[in-house]
Amino acid sequence: MYEDIDISELAKFAIRIAEKNYPNYKCAEIFVGKSEYLNIEVEENSVKYSEIGRNHGISIRIYRRNGSIGFAFTNKLNKNVVEKIVKNAIKMMRVGTPDPNFKNLPEKLKPYSVVEDLYDKSIKSLLIEDAIDHVKDLINICTEDDQAISQSGDFTANSNLSYILNSNGIEVSGEETLFDISSNMIVKDTINGEVSNGYESQMKRKLADIDGTKTAEEALKNAKRNLHRKKIKTKKMPVILSPKGTIKLILNPIASAINAEMYQYKRSFLVGKREKKIGSDLINIDDNAIINGRVGSNIFDGEGFPCRNKKIIERGHFLQSGLLHNSYTAGKEEVESTGNASRSSFSSVPSIGISNLILHPGTAQKDELIENVKEGILLNSTADSPNIATGDFSGLISQGNLIQNGEIKHALNETMFGINLLDLFENITSISKEYKIYGPYSAPYVKIDNVQIIGAQSLKN
Amino acid sequence: MEIDDELSLFDNAFIADLLREAGNKVEYWDIRATLSEGTTLDFTDQRSTEISSYEMANCGIRAFINGGWGFSVLKDLNKDSIKSSFLKSIKLARLTKSLLKNEFKIIERDPLEKSFKIDSKLPLSDVNIEEKIKLVKNHEKIAANSSKLITNTRTIYMDGISNCIFINSFGSKIKQTLSYLRLLNMVYSRKAGIIQRSLNSVGGLGGFEILSTEKAEKLSEKTAQESIKLLDAKSPIGGQFTIIADPKLAGTLIHEALGHACEADLVLSKESILKEKIGKEIALTDINVIDDPSTGQGKKLGLPYELFGSYFIDDEGIPSQKTTIIKNGILKNYLHNLETSSRMNLPPNGHGRASSSSARPQVRMGFTYIEPKDWNIEELIQDTKNGILCKDFLYGYTNPTTGNFQFKCKFSYKIENGEKKELMRDVALSGMILEVLKRISAVGDKNTFGFSSGICGKGGQNVQVSDGGPYIRVDDITVGGLN
Repeated sequence: MYEDIDISELAKFAIRIAEKNYPNYKCAEIFVGKSEYLNIEVEENSVKYSEIGRNHGISIRIYRRNGSIGFAFTNKLNKNVVEKIVKNAIKMMRVGTPDPNFKNLPEKLKPYSVVEDLYDKSIKSLLIEDAIDHVKDLINICTEDDQAISQSGDFTANSNLSYILNSNGIEVSGEETLFDISSNMIVKDTINGEVSNGYESQMKRKLADIDGTKTAEEALKNAKRNLHRKKIKTKKMPVILSPKGTIKLILNPIASAINAEMYQYKRSFLVGKREKKIGSDLINIDDNAIINGRVGSNIFDGEGFPCRNKKIIERGHFLQSGLLHNSYTAGKEEVESTGNASRSSFSSVPSIGISNLILHPGTAQKDELIENVKEGILLNSTADSPNIATGDFSGLISQGNLIQNGEIKHALNETMFGINLLDLFENITSISKEYKIYGPYSAPYVKIDNVQIIGAQSLKN
Repeated sequence: MEIDDELSLFDNAFIADLLREAGNKVEYWDIRATLSEGTTLDFTDQRSTEISSYEMANCGIRAFINGGWGFSVLKDLNKDSIKSSFLKSIKLARLTKSLLKNEFKIIERDPLEKSFKIDSKLPLSDVNIEEKIKLVKNHEKIAANSSKLITNTRTIYMDGISNCIFINSFGSKIKQTLSYLRLLNMVYSRKAGIIQRSLNSVGGLGGFEILSTEKAEKLSEKTAQESIKLLDAKSPIGGQFTIIADPKLAGTLIHEALGHACEADLVLSKESILKEKIGKEIALTDINVIDDPSTGQGKKLGLPYELFGSYFIDDEGIPSQKTTIIKNGILKNYLHNLETSSRMNLPPNGHGRASSSSARPQVRMGFTYIEPKDWNIEELIQDTKNGILCKDFLYGYTNPTTGNFQFKCKFSYKIENGEKKELMRDVALSGMILEVLKRISAVGDKNTFGFSSGICGKGGQNVQVSDGGPYIRVDDITVGGLN
């Protein structure tokens, strides 16, 4: 069993096999991942499933001098299979195409930042019984409320170990923990029988930071706010984004658009916009990997390169240095990697991902933002995503309410919005002081003027 | 590619040992184990960005006691690990049971002892990596050279073979040898500052013959042409419109707007708007909707392979079968897994599916479609005064609780006075499940029938699905737009 396996020994064995079978390779990297998890699921507001599991695996990425890549992986951690997959990777590399854009895998040049509280050792003594206490908090909120009729939700505790060894001298290893809890609350209006749902989740590095009660309360609040759904008329009006709305409409699209791979292949609507103003002065965005204890924080990235803080947008200007790189895209542009190589597991080649993407809070009070709207929309969520190549974003408001004379009114049915993201950035007129952290995102409330709202209420009525 | 049969460790003596361990402690258990191998080729701008191969093992063990489930996942396939995880699952089930408030039983079903194999004219094991690369390079070249407006191309080839075993406490022991292949092509083009993209894929269960159809051979050519065509498309104007949906879109519509809300797990958890609607008229009398993931559908559609959404048995050992969802407008059946069929006291209908042996089965669709009727496509357009002809989709989703769904179309043509007019892009459509089914005002004939395949996500798990239908017309759909 893998507790007995010496990862570093196995990785070095793999490199030796590579050297023996193809001495003239340019560089190679071994990635080993191990994880264990525990999961409790709630269905119909009752504990339904308990699950424990573990995962482990090893991959090799190897490059020829002409830049062609070979990759192979397995979850069978024994030398026979590892030898086989190294040989497979070499076979893959031999048949690949040359790539002059590939420069090198990271070299050991820079020191690593100190980032604390990424691993919570209380996971070691976490029992399934303790985990169940967290979901009991969810269940209680649903039981105690008259309108709540059902809830699904879950709690997961994860611990991951990543180990990276490359032929350029990098050897790093780190452990992290992730805990998450979620609630999808179903409510029924006691008078007219209308049913709706509301969702909320938390993701934390530290078990003690998980608050099931608060998560379920927020889901319940969202669900109730989603009752009395009505169709509205088509009209241009201001939209206030809740922190979740800000993530969906601003941070998520920016995360894709500043990905250097998307950018270099010209798949981003921000192509040609570097060092230019792309929106309101109020927009300041960082991608910070070195905040202690945050979900998107890391000491090193998926290639073992040191992580750091990067300024992306300053006072509405998209900075020249505002792209997120791994070693490949950085090499192509002849800059240094930003430490944003991301890999979801040992089985994937590194792509590019955000660390903690932060939209800096503004000066407005969130309540004032709403109070000052005569007629507008409070947008809490949409399941849509924009066309990143064009920036066009039309979607369905899955949770939103009408604002009238500064008050939050009925929920919306079949109501869509449409805007190009560059217009959206331009039309930001206010950002709140208050903000919320969801996973790797930090998001305040944002007011956007002049958004096309398409309602399903026909003009005849 | 040859997989060593490590699964032979599940011999009769070992199974007898597990049965003994379980004794009277559990009411139901099952074990799924899979050994798989495969290849991924990822090319961008005619260069390889990933050429990879893998060899993996997965195993998941479930135990059930009176409404409570325990599940344990492991990767080391040896008797000791399996037995210890088996005991862990029982312990987890017991713990779950001690806390739950909804007690129920799993009704015992007939055991099945059988082996299944995906037939293939060109087995993946007979195709070498050079041949696969040649094919991908060729698609990349065709796309890149089709116009000066093309700025970026990407082609992803994925294949895999697997050996699976399923054992449960009813006495089932099912072995499967499966094989799949998928080719995906994406093309970006640019003109006067406008960037557009198109994406197409082919995929199915089988071997290299999946790439031998005309559709597969012309995949990149089609994607490139579409991408260029979209450069001149207009953004839509939002409002209420009559739409004509092509088979791909009609399939997505029925998958999103009806299928998910028919999944019995969502019905039991009060999350479906179709709760208590069995036997009720929820659509026009012209409408029949089926989910039929059984094998042989590909052949009926003239394909040399099985559909992506097809399977022999579901992930709970129940054979795939045809389920009528709507007959003449009346809701007839929900889709079930072992648990929901037990709780509703109905026979299971083979819709318990999981994304892998490491994930627990949920209620999922397979191949969902609307049955054809009698309109031909020309009549359908001529009969539509003002509307939008919508072809193909980018994605779709639904909220089964509120019934609100939405999807995005790839191509949309304005229809004016019964004539097809200018092209529009990024048309988003939205509606309410219970309203839209009653607004289908015309259903196309069998000559217009078609399907598409893709990946559907639910509860963090992705499974392969297919859906389809004839052309259909729907009145009063909300269309989103930037104008």
